[in-house]
Amino acid sequence: MDEFQSGEETSFVVDEVSNIIKEAIESAIGGNAYQHSKVNQWTTSVVEQTLSQLTKLGKPFKYIVTCVIMQKNGAGLHTASSCFWDNTSDGNCTVRWENKTMYCIVSAFGLAI
Amino acid sequence: MRQGAGLGCGRSRCTLTASFLYTQIVKDRMRSSSHEVHGTEPMDDESFAEFGRSEIFTLKTSMAKIRYANTYKMEPYRKFQAHLVRNKAQHILTQRLQETKYNGATSSFLCNSISEEILTAVKDMGFDRYKYVVTVLILQKTGQAIKISSRWVWDVARDNWVSAKCETESFVSLALIMACYYE
Repeated sequence: MDEFQSGEETSFVVDEVSNIIKEAIESAIGGNAYQHSKVNQWTTSVVEQTLSQLTKLGKPFKYIVTCVIMQKNGAGLHTASSCFWDNTSDGNCTVRWENKTMYCIVSAFGLAI
Repeated sequence: MRQGAGLGCGRSRCTLTASFLYTQIVKDRMRSSSHEVHGTEPMDDESFAEFGRSEIFTLKTSMAKIRYANTYKMEPYRKFQAHLVRNKAQHILTQRLQETKYNGATSSFLCNSISEEILTAVKDMGFDRYKYVVTVLILQKTGQAIKISSRWVWDVARDNWVSAKCETESFVSLALIMACYYE
């Protein structure tokens, strides 16, 4: 009889995801200046940490996480995303983080199964 | 009373300077890094205020998520073919960007329109039951370094991704297309 969505929260919650991303960024590159030799390691760790925390939420979602780290040099960067999905269940969250020497942009997309 | 007021004033002045110093310290720390959040949440209209009981029942049943019967299909009829999509995306990028120069004002519009064009092209290819995420980046060349990495949690047998790159003298552009099968 009860066909409503009750009890468990199974939709994409932007606040939750943005906190996870912010924590991952802070712990991986928190107080560091840009270093070419370490960037590889940083991007991998940001992405891996975000993804593992997202999967720990235990929601029935497929996740795609993209991280861009760019040195501050006065250059311009534009990104755009378009998505073909179900508006009622899927969502995305993008966090733009910067410090004195670099920019870091992390996007997380969640697609319901 | 007066003494009490005087004491209170003194203490509050101390706490004022202490709290001011604290906020300065916190601001200095925060100034070294800043962040911004953007996101889109799934639309979920649940405002049921001021409805009668019977009205709530009819509303809820109409708004409840429609659940379809199982199709017992494990594979799509037409699976995502990466080579076709890569060729098409490469073609779109080179066609639209080969002759242009980087321009800060128009690049964001260009970025948006290219990602929409790639999305419609991929949808027209007709792979059934797939959800797509298309990301386009346009990056000015000024001798800086950039690192782009992506990871995902998905079904390796059915989901796939494709990337296409276009490089000119003044900028580099990258398109990432990810396709996820919707069971």
